[in-house]
Formats: sequence, C-alpha cells, structure tokens
Amino acid sequence: MYELIVLALGLPVVTAFASLATRQRGLLKVMNVASSLATCGLVFAIAAGVLRDGPFAWRWLYVDALSVLLLVVVGVLTFTATLFSVSYMETEANEGHVRPGLLGGYYALLQLFAFTMLAVLVVENLGLMWVGVEATTLASTLLVAFYFNRSALEAAWKYVMVCNVGILFALLGTILLYYAQLSAGGGGAALSRAALEALSGRLDPFLVKLAFVFILIGYGTKAGLAPMHTWLPDAHSQAPSPVSGLLSGALLSCALYVLIRNLGIVTAVLGSGFVQAALLLFGVLSVAVAVPFMLVQHDIKRLLAYSSVEHVGIVSFGLGIGTPLALYGAAFHILNHAVAKSALFYLAGIISQRYRTKHVMRIRGMLAAMPAVGAMFLVAVLAIVGTPPLNVFFSKFAIVAAAFAAGRPVLGAVLLLLLAGVFAGMMYYTTRMVFGAAPGGLSPTPPGACALAAVALSLAWVVGTGLYMPPVLDELLTRAAAQMFAATGGL
Amino acid sequence: MEILAVLLLISVFVLTRTTRLSTAVHILLAQSAVVAAACAVAGWQAGEVHMFAAALLTVVIKAGLIPYALLRLVRLLKREREVNPVVGPNGSSLAAVAAMVLAYGLIERALPAVVSRDAVATAVALVLIGLFLIITRRQAIMQIVGLITVENGLYLLGLSTTRGLPLIIELGIFFDVLVMVTVMVILTFRLKRSFQTTDTSILKRLKG
Repeated sequence: MYELIVLALGLPVVTAFASLATRQRGLLKVMNVASSLATCGLVFAIAAGVLRDGPFAWRWLYVDALSVLLLVVVGVLTFTATLFSVSYMETEANEGHVRPGLLGGYYALLQLFAFTMLAVLVVENLGLMWVGVEATTLASTLLVAFYFNRSALEAAWKYVMVCNVGILFALLGTILLYYAQLSAGGGGAALSRAALEALSGRLDPFLVKLAFVFILIGYGTKAGLAPMHTWLPDAHSQAPSPVSGLLSGALLSCALYVLIRNLGIVTAVLGSGFVQAALLLFGVLSVAVAVPFMLVQHDIKRLLAYSSVEHVGIVSFGLGIGTPLALYGAAFHILNHAVAKSALFYLAGIISQRYRTKHVMRIRGMLAAMPAVGAMFLVAVLAIVGTPPLNVFFSKFAIVAAAFAAGRPVLGAVLLLLLAGVFAGMMYYTTRMVFGAAPGGLSPTPPGACALAAVALSLAWVVGTGLYMPPVLDELLTRAAAQMFAATGGL
Repeated sequence: MEILAVLLLISVFVLTRTTRLSTAVHILLAQSAVVAAACAVAGWQAGEVHMFAAALLTVVIKAGLIPYALLRLVRLLKREREVNPVVGPNGSSLAAVAAMVLAYGLIERALPAVVSRDAVATAVALVLIGLFLIITRRQAIMQIVGLITVENGLYLLGLSTTRGLPLIIELGIFFDVLVMVTVMVILTFRLKRSFQTTDTSILKRLKG
C-alpha cells in the first residue's frame, strides 16, 4: 500500500520533469498518456486495497474510503484530461493559439497539478493538507494563464489573488486549531487529525469555533462556494478546456474534501448543529447565485462554470442535511459531477475549436455539423441537469429526498425550484446549440480520435452507473458516506 | 520581543504612506527581517533548534529572494514607480491606526489567555493592514507586498501563540510562498507586456 501511494505521487512528478526535457512532440504525448493511465491504475489499486483491508495509516500518510473516492476522481479525470489534451492542444498549436515549444511546459504543469491534488488526498495532517491545497493553486495558475492573452491574464490574476487571500484565511484557522491543540495539552503530534480527534473533549470550543469560521471561508473560497466563488467563472472559462475540466471536476472536489476533513474536528467539539447550518446556508446560496447567471450567460464555458458553482452548492447542501442518505448522495454526486462536468468542458473545447467562438448564440446546428459531438453534448447536458436514467439524477434525487425525509421540506422545495430554473436555462441554450442548420464558415478540422475517446469514456461512465450500480461502487460510496457522517453528521 | 513588535507596527504604518514601489519593497524586506529576528529570539528563549532553521529560511526567502525578484521587476517597469492608491496615504494611515486598535481589542476579547499579547496584536494588525493594502492598491506589485504582509502576520501569529508550526509544515509553507511569488512575478511581467501597465484596475473585461 505504502509503495502504491509513493508511486502514484512520484509518477506525475517524474513525468513532469521528463516532459520539460522532451523535444519530440510524439514522445511527449505517448509518455503523458501512458503515465496518467498508470497513475489512474495505481489509484484503482489503492482503492481496491482500502476496500479490502480498511483505512491505511502510516506516519504522514492516511487513506480511507473518503480519500479513495476523491483519489478515483482525480485519477480518472487526470487520465481523461491528458488524453483529451493530446488532440486539443495539437489543434491549438496547429491553429497558432499556442506556441508548439510550450507544449512540454503545458504537460509538465498538468502533471504537477495532478500531483498536488493527489498529495492533498493522501496526507493525514491538517497542516500538510493546507500546504497541498496552496500548491494546487500555484500549479494551476500558469495553466489558467496558459494562452497569455489579456483575458487569460486577467482571469489568472484574479484566480491567484482571490484564492491566495482565501487560503491564507484557512491558514489562520489552522494556526488557531493548533493553538487550541497546544492549549489542551496535546503537543505531540501537531495538527494530526487522529491526535486532534482524541483531544476533542478538551479543546476550547470558542477557539475551535473561531478556527472553523476562518477554515470554512478559506477552503470554501477554493471550493467555489458563493459568495467566495468570484474567481471561478473567469478561471474556468479562460483556461484551456482540459484544464477547465480538471479545475471544475477535480480541484473543487479536493477543496471540499479538505473542508470535510477539517469539519470532523469541529463537529467533534461543537456538535453538528452549527456546522450543518453553515453548510446548508452556503449550499443554498451557491445554487441561488448560480441560477440567474446561468439564465443570462452567453459564453459556453462561463455557463458551465456557473453550473459548477451550483453543483458544489448541491454537495454542500447534501453535507448540511447530514443524514446517511444525503451523505451517500453527496459522495455519489461528487463523483458524478466530476465526470459529467469534465466531459462537458472537453466538449466545449471541441465546439469552440470547430465554431471558432465560445458565444452561445453563434453556435448552432451542432448535430448537423458534427453528429457524434452534438449527440454527446446533448447526453452530457441532460446528465448534468439531472435527467433520469443518467447517474447525476440519482445523486441529486438522493440529496433532495433526504432533505424532505430529514424534516426540512422548505429547504428541499427551494432547492428543487432552483434546480428547475437551472434545467430551464441549460436546456434553452442547449436546444439552440444542438438543433437547427449549421452556419457556414466552420473550421473543417474534425476533432481528434483521442479527444472523442476521452469524452466517450466519461459518458460511458455517466450512462453506465446510471443504469447499473456495481456493488464495488456502492460499497465505496457507503463507506465514504460513513466517513462524512463522522465529519459532519455528528457522532 | 516588544521592541520587535513596535518595529513591525512602524514598518506597516510606513508602508501605508509609501508612494514609491521600490520603497515599498525595501520596507517589506525590513519587515521580513524583523519577523526573522523575532523567530530567532523566540527560538532562543524556548531553546528550540527548529525555530532557528525557520528564522534562517525567513531571511533567505522573504528578506532575500522575494525582495530581490520584486526589485528587479520594479526596475523593469520603467515610468511606473509611483503608486496610485484608491485610498490616499492619509486615509490609509488612519485605517492602519484603526486596524491596530481593532487588533488589540480583538485580542482582549478573543484570546485573553495569550501570554505575548503585544506580539499577537501586532500579528493581527499586520494581517488586517495587509488585506487593506491588497484591496486599496492597484499596482500588481503593491498587491504582492500586501499578500506577503498578511503572510508575515500569520507567521508571527503562529510564532507568538504556538512557537511556530512543526518544521515540515513550515518548510511546505515557505516553499509555497516562494513559488507563489515566482508565479505572481511571471504574471506581473506578462501583464506589463500585454497591457503596458501593471495597474490591476484595468482588469475588468470578464464579467457576468
């Protein structure tokens, strides 16, 4: 197990340096796809090990079902993003949007970004988690800025400023937590989760509450919870499409993961009431803020970015309801959203290359212009708005049903109403884009095989787990939900 | 320790009055040096070796590499030495004084059990004034200076409440800060090339 984790962390770093040194474009692609496929395989091996033997803990490392769920998300998305990049970045380079010499740097940053996210998920210590989350920002900033045009620079500057200030708040919270730990007499293992949980009876509630507020704001910024989501639409829309997919599916989920881990200590000290109320508030607010922006949005990638704010809100809402059903739904939703949304961002990349625009109103007749991509886009949108029998429907349904079952019918009804608004907005734009006659002047280049494969793979997962829940996945989700229950639902 | 706290308060106070980028970076250098000294003094008092390592790292990274990079950047930005703040020097100084009063008030109420009250209050003041600088200064470099000031404040807070985090976490934080500044210097350089200015108030094309 230890070897698997070290390999999964080491492989992306080695590949990153190798990418910088490689001059041949062919080798660069093969190497990166092979490496991310291997990382993905290692992640699945870790998952199998944890499901077989239970949580693994060794010094600074800790992996349980919840970390494994997120590891799978990051592993799978890194693979699809790398696979997609092969076609996408090739086209970008051929069309002159990216200097071919920068491709090595692109892959290197992508691998380092994957490494930082994986590192966040396998450490036990809350301080090291902070270091990892900060590193994810730094690794992804230059990816957001990758086109180095005016809009990309603006997005990257906002991203790095907002997330850094946010994350410094999280550091403040973490320091306060350490102060609480020392005051309670636990000097031995600083900021270790196990040590803090063992001490939870003696931690000063006031200090922990103060720490909680800063931690929630800090990691909430990184997770894209409203009203701290301001960096998100800019960064997601300006980054190259594979990176947008990773930011939205993997990075936001990782930030939520770190938040959940921190909440475990807070709940143990303060009880679940305050924590759940805060999660519900930020959850509903995020969905409510996203809806109007989605209804008037004209940039396809910004539309998807606001949809991410909405989905982070739904997960936060599920965590706030806190019943086992809601948490199962939240765990499933993290996974479903990550795969479906990354596929949508990849598709948006293909579309904007073909139509040479990201403007929703100028994209028409997708089915006529490129039938396969149009059909996949339709399926992916139907999935993300929660149409049965696709998997996102089941996780959303579980969360909403749990709200009603937990005696919060008003909140459940509000969420349903907001989701109906999202549905209306997304479907309106989608039908305009997918159907009708294709305009003239489209780029003749067909999407590459690798790009189509990456999207098809993601959608196969979205449709497949909607129709049939494999027992292994059910087991993983149940155990991850149990970990979340300990962290947010009380003891 | 009290003397160092006073020096730090003076440094941020002067920072709110500076209108030249290079002066601001020099003050930041001095501020980081004082933080390093505070770390060394605290380490000497507590007899902890790892704090000397942290002090050394502070000197090398925050009083060495980062100011060096920022000063080189300032030299590249010809005709852009003047800071053009949203809130002028007098208003900023007033805000700084308010932040200091607020910091002492907060400590009195929130953390009455803390031993080194002056150091903690200084740390909170640094954080507040750093945030104020980020919000009210338009120049990219001034925002970086504000960010490092916040970071220095948090570092001092950790130092005065908990004698600093364990060395491995400290190392991670130092590394992050170093990479953060590197990334931001690259971005600032690119801003200058694309927009002919590093005034971030022009960054408002992306909306809705």
